[in-house]
This record gives sequence, structure tokens and C-alpha cells, in this order.
Amino acid sequence: MGCGSSFPDRDSRQFGRPNTENGGGQDARNLRVKLVLLGDSGVGKSCIVLRFVRGQFDATSKVTVGASFLSQTIALQDSTTVKFEIWDTAGQERYAALAPLYYRGAAVAVIVYDITSPESFSKAQYWVKELQKHGSPDIVMALVGNKADLQEKREVAVQDGTDYAEKNGMFFIETSAKTADNINELFEDIVDYATSKLHHDVLAA
Amino acid sequence: MSEMSSSEHDSESSILLHLPPLSQSLFDAEPSDLQQPNGSAARPSSDPSSPTSSGYAPERGSSTATSVSHVEEVLSNEIQEITIHDPQPLSHSSWLPGKRHGDEDDASISWRKRKKHFFVLSHSGKPIYSRYGDEHKLAGFSATLQAIISFVENGGDHVKLVRAGKHQVVFLVKGPIYLVCISCTEEPYESLRGQLEIIHGQMIVILTKSVNRCFEKNPKFDMTPLLGGTDIVFSSLIHSFSWNPATFLHAYTCLPLAYATRQAAGAILQDVADSGVLFAILMCRHKVISLVGAQKASLHPDDMLLLANFVMSSESFRTSEAFSPVCLPRYNALAFLYAYIHFFDDDTYLMLLTTSSDSFYHLKDCRIGIEAVLLKSNVLSEAQRSLLDGGMRVEDLPPLPRSGSSHLGQHRVPSDSPERSREPDCGVGGAAGLWHFIYRSIYLDQYISSEFSSPINTPKQQKRLYRGYQKLFASMHDKGIGPHKTQFRRDENYVLLCWVTQDFELYAAFDPLADKALAIKTCNRVCQWVKDVENEIFLLGASPFSW
Ligand SMILES: Nc1nc2c(ncn2[C@@H]2O[C@H](COP(=O)(O)OP(=O)(O)OP(=O)(O)O)[C@@H](O)[C@H]2O)c(=O)[nH]1
Ligand SMILES: [Mg+2]
Repeated sequence: MGCGSSFPDRDSRQFGRPNTENGGGQDARNLRVKLVLLGDSGVGKSCIVLRFVRGQFDATSKVTVGASFLSQTIALQDSTTVKFEIWDTAGQERYAALAPLYYRGAAVAVIVYDITSPESFSKAQYWVKELQKHGSPDIVMALVGNKADLQEKREVAVQDGTDYAEKNGMFFIETSAKTADNINELFEDIVDYATSKLHHDVLAA
Repeated sequence: MSEMSSSEHDSESSILLHLPPLSQSLFDAEPSDLQQPNGSAARPSSDPSSPTSSGYAPERGSSTATSVSHVEEVLSNEIQEITIHDPQPLSHSSWLPGKRHGDEDDASISWRKRKKHFFVLSHSGKPIYSRYGDEHKLAGFSATLQAIISFVENGGDHVKLVRAGKHQVVFLVKGPIYLVCISCTEEPYESLRGQLEIIHGQMIVILTKSVNRCFEKNPKFDMTPLLGGTDIVFSSLIHSFSWNPATFLHAYTCLPLAYATRQAAGAILQDVADSGVLFAILMCRHKVISLVGAQKASLHPDDMLLLANFVMSSESFRTSEAFSPVCLPRYNALAFLYAYIHFFDDDTYLMLLTTSSDSFYHLKDCRIGIEAVLLKSNVLSEAQRSLLDGGMRVEDLPPLPRSGSSHLGQHRVPSDSPERSREPDCGVGGAAGLWHFIYRSIYLDQYISSEFSSPINTPKQQKRLYRGYQKLFASMHDKGIGPHKTQFRRDENYVLLCWVTQDFELYAAFDPLADKALAIKTCNRVCQWVKDVENEIFLLGASPFSW
């Protein structure tokens, strides 16, 4: 792939490192999570992020160039705050070779497909393999079937998504950026999933 | 002073070719200026197998400019000109091979109605880009163009111009990529060719010149997936040919600002450049507020034009901060740089360019520092005000001689005054029938264009005026004319006056009934005026261009 280098390790690559920058001190309940979205162009990555960060949905598509950086802080039920630093990458083919730039420092990779497009589902599988090969071994992966509001046009069965995610040790969810269905759940649940997975790994080690 | 000859190409010796004649009806209506092709509609789904299956892997991170491109350019541009006389009146339906009795598809109908077309195709005839419509539907037409090209190539050299009646077909060959413009706008060959060069430059911005290697590996390589989602970038660029003088002047323009305001912006950008940023550019729409380059790094005005067009037309940059590879063709056509891009508001944006792919967080920090200074020094609000107030207006041209310093808009009615709203209707331009001017400083690589005002106040009139300037520009830059030249040209629309010295070029438009001697005097006043306010309209000193 010939990609020069990754982002500097200024911030932790560990999941949920205590945030010491903003007066967080040793408070382990302030987490900082670097998250990257990958997937074919047009599956709705930017819409998911904008729904999550700004609560908006804009149906006019604005194809992403390079990658956009956004952040959002949420409070979980146990009053843990989580600051997400999100790389919304471009799905256009010409940017594929640059993906490592954005996923290398990430704790979580969210791989998105469009439930009305089998091609986008195979592209998602491509990204899973790519991350398994070149990503950090402890990156937490989520598979997301977006545009769940378009049931009548569905071409990828829920079961196919579930099966594939399970086989590859991934978190799975179907979302709709348009109706906001499961968008917050995606980001909240991924934290739970990751912390329990990390915990499990620690126990297993 | 000599009158400009109306057509420079008609006297060329002609070669008769039997080509499918171009249809008159292809070009029977002028496109509406404000009509933008729907750039966001088509999103071809990409190859699911592997994103890298194209084998496209441009080099990154290198900052060494190369001279290879120059050699190649010299070779590929050594081309001859051919004039074609139509053997018979053009017929409506016979321009497409195999489609002699025109039942052309729906897609072709709308684009036949245009005066000017741009096509990009590969050496093997594969469509890459077409202005009005889906390039794949035009495959038949690409084949025709390709047939023309190979015909002429076989005859020896590359063809660069074909004339068919009132249509010109201009070709530009860039390695494996052919760019074609078909037009009956009567723009000079040099202008159209310059536009093709710019279109090619925009492709390099997006893909670098390394894309040529894909054609070396596979001559039938399909480049369209690599340009996915960029239609809007090209349609906005092509649109700018009719409103942005930078496309033919090869110079950039600044947003008029108080000297101290621009200085404040420049100082903070300089700090950033000293911390390892290659170029720091602060712009408001297509106008520069300030820019700074690292030592010895120089930024070509054409690169700025292409970069600004790329950033402004790509909507996604406006949602948040972005980090994207970009290539500056004049700086280094073979390598990507990395651009941190952030919009402070709808109009004003910052671009920080670097050679290192891992500097996002550093650049983000730089932006935070810059933003704080810009807010403290009111740069952003001043920029908004300047946008509202506009720049130089011919009505404000001060009389000669002047003493003391002058400020932009000194004699101007404030923009919130009720008098202002009456102005556009009753005004008839400035002194001696001066309607508009463009002043280009050779040393600074910058130009200033006066605001449009009555009677040149519709996009159509503005476009016509720019075409007039372009013609002047082309003829003034013809080889073999000395450094000091003037041209005075009168037609039914206006008097155009052009004055070129070693220091500047002045293009001015007057009322068609304007007195010549008076017009010349007025041009002197314009030059004096520009000098008087140069602190506010130009970025002075610290120009990365001049040394
Ligand atoms: N019906 C429906 N449409 C959606 C949904 N999410 C996104 N879209 C539409 O899908 C199109 C593409 O969405 P984007 O978010 O721009 O896609 P992307 O994945 O960011 O694409 P790239 O930036 O090119 O990689 C937009 O026109 C949206 O209107 C959804 O949940 N439901
Ligand atoms: Mg996107």
C-alpha cells in the first residue's frame, strides 16, 4: 500500500484511556475514543456521523473528500463521559490507499454498508479483511447495515450481516441515519461492547 | 496603435479532411450561465472486489519538484495547426458514425444545444469526462474524436486545432490523456487551449500525474472510477472560465482589506509556516486574504486557482475540518501534498499544506492558534465587510493629480446608506465612459478587477466582456511583440483598451462612444489609483512568488 506513516501517537491508541488533558486527572470515567468509519461511497457514513454529532440529516449527498474529522461527547448511563474523535473517511476508490492514515490510531473501526446494496456489503467485507491484515490487532470492529428505513429495497438480509459479524468477532447493528434509528445506540453500545471485550481479553490473557 | 485583426487563423494554409461534419444544431443555444450541471447526482458504485484493483498508487510525501514534466510537455505540445473547410453545408444528422439519420438518444439532445463542449478521453478512446452529461453515453462520440486524433497522428504530428465552419475543435494531448474543446464561441485558440490546460491541471490536483502509469500498464484502463464524485469540481471550474479572470490571467486576486488587517493575518500564517507547514493560505471565496510559503517554496497562481476551486466546490469541506491529499501540478505534479482544510464561516477558509501525512493534529493545533488571532484582530469580520462593500468601483475613480494617500472607498457612499441602492440603475460607469478595468501586476502575480456596475451588470454581459479581455490577452501575449504595447479596439459593445508594460497590464472597457484620447488619460488615472491603494488591494512583501 506504500502509505508513509500513521498519525503521531500523541493521543493514546488504547481504548478508553483516562482523559488527563481536560482536567480529567485520573478519573477513569472520562474516556476518549478514536473511531474511524469505513465503507463504500454513498452508504451513509457522513450521514451517520452528522446525525450523531449534530442531530441532523441532509438528504443531498455531499461526497466526502479525503476525510473529515468530528468529535462528540456523550454521557453513558453510569455517568461515564465518552469523547468520540471521529474520522469520517471518503469511500471513493481513489482514497482507499490512504485509509491506513486514518485507521491506524483508531480504537474502533465502524464498517458501514447499505442494506439495499450487496456490492457495498462485499466492500464492507473487503474492509474487514484489510483491517484484520493491516490494522492494529486490538482494534474493535463494528459492522453497520445502514439505510434500514428502506426495508422494501432491502437486498442484504439481517441474518447475513449478523452471521458475518459473528464469524469475525464484530459488533453488529442496523441503523438509519434518516430516521435516527439506532444511531445513538451504535455509539453507546460500541463502548459497552469494547470495554467488555477488553475486559474479557484481559481476563483471558 | 493598431486595430486588432479579427481572426488570426483564417489565413493559415488549409488541409482538407473528410471528417464527419459537425452539426450546426449542436451549438444553437447559449447555455445559461447560472445553470450548474447536477454534480451530485451520479455516483457510480465502485468495484467491490478491491479498492486498489486499479493499481493506482501515487507517490506521496515527496516535496522535490521535478522537471520531467517540462520535457514531456514540450514534446507533446509540438503540434501543428490544421484548418478544415467544410466540403458541404453541415447536415444535422450525420455527425455520429453509424447514426446517419439522427435518432440520437435523449441524453444527446440537451448537450447538442450548447455552444461549448469539453471532453476528456484516453488515448484508446475511453471517455473520462464530458461536460454536459454522462460520459459513457457519449462513447460513440469519443470514438469519433479519437478517430480524428489518430488520423492526424498518423499524418505526423499531434493535431491541435480543427476548424469546421464557425466551430473550432481544440485538442490538447497530455500523455495518454486527450482533452478536447468544441466551441463556436469565437474565443481564440489560445484561450481554449489554456482552458484545457486548466482542466487537465484539475485532474492532476485530484489524482497526480502518476495516473499516467495506469495507462502504461493497461492502455484500456478506465479512469472514470478514480474521478468518482468530482463532477461538481469540473463543472464549477468550467463555469469559472466565464467569470473568473484568473483562468486566463494566470494571476490571483486579493480580498480588499486594510493593510493592518492583512498584516495581522500574514503574521500568524508566517508563524505557522515556520513550524513546518509548506503553505498556509487564508482565502475568502476565490480571493486571497493572506498566504505564506515555507522557505523557497513557491506557489503558482494556477495552482491556487485549482486548489481554491477544488475546495470551494467540494461541499464536504464545509461540514467540519478535513484532511485530504491534494496535488499541486505546478509545484510537483507527481506527488500528493496533504491539506488541512477548515471553513471559519461560509466564505473564509484556511488551507494548510504539508508534505507529511501524519501532521493532522499539528495542523489542527495551528488552526486553533490562527483562529484565535483572526478573531482577536477582527480579520474574519473585516473579510465579511469587504465582501459586502466590494472593491474598486469605476464611479469612485479619483481625479488626477492627487496628493497625499488615498483609501479605497474614500469617496464612496456607505453600503448601508439609502443612496447606494439607487446607484446601480442610474449609474453609467466612471469618468470618460469607463465601465470596467482589470489591472495585473507582473511582479506580484496579482490582479485587481473593478466591481461590475451598470451597464455591465448581467452575467451574460460580464461573460462577454471577459471574452473580450481574453481575446486581448491572447493577442497581447502573442510571441514576437515587444514589451511595450497598447491596443485600442472599438466595436458595437465597447471600446477595449489594453496597455502592457514590464510592470503591469491594464485592461479597460469603455462606452463604445468613448473618446480615445480621454480613454487613454483615464487609464493613467486608473493606474495612479491602483498605486495609491495598493496597500489594501494587493498582498505586498513576503510574496512567495517573487523570489
Ligand atoms: N434512506 C436513507 N438514505 C440515507 C441514509 N443515510 C444516508 N442516506 C443517503 O445516502 C446518500 C449518501 O450518504 P453519505 O453519508 O454522503 O455517504 P458516505 O458513505 O459518506 O459517502 P462517501 O463520503 O462518498 O464515502 C445521501 O444522499 C443520503 O441522503 C439512510 O439511513 N436512509
Ligand atoms: Mg461521506
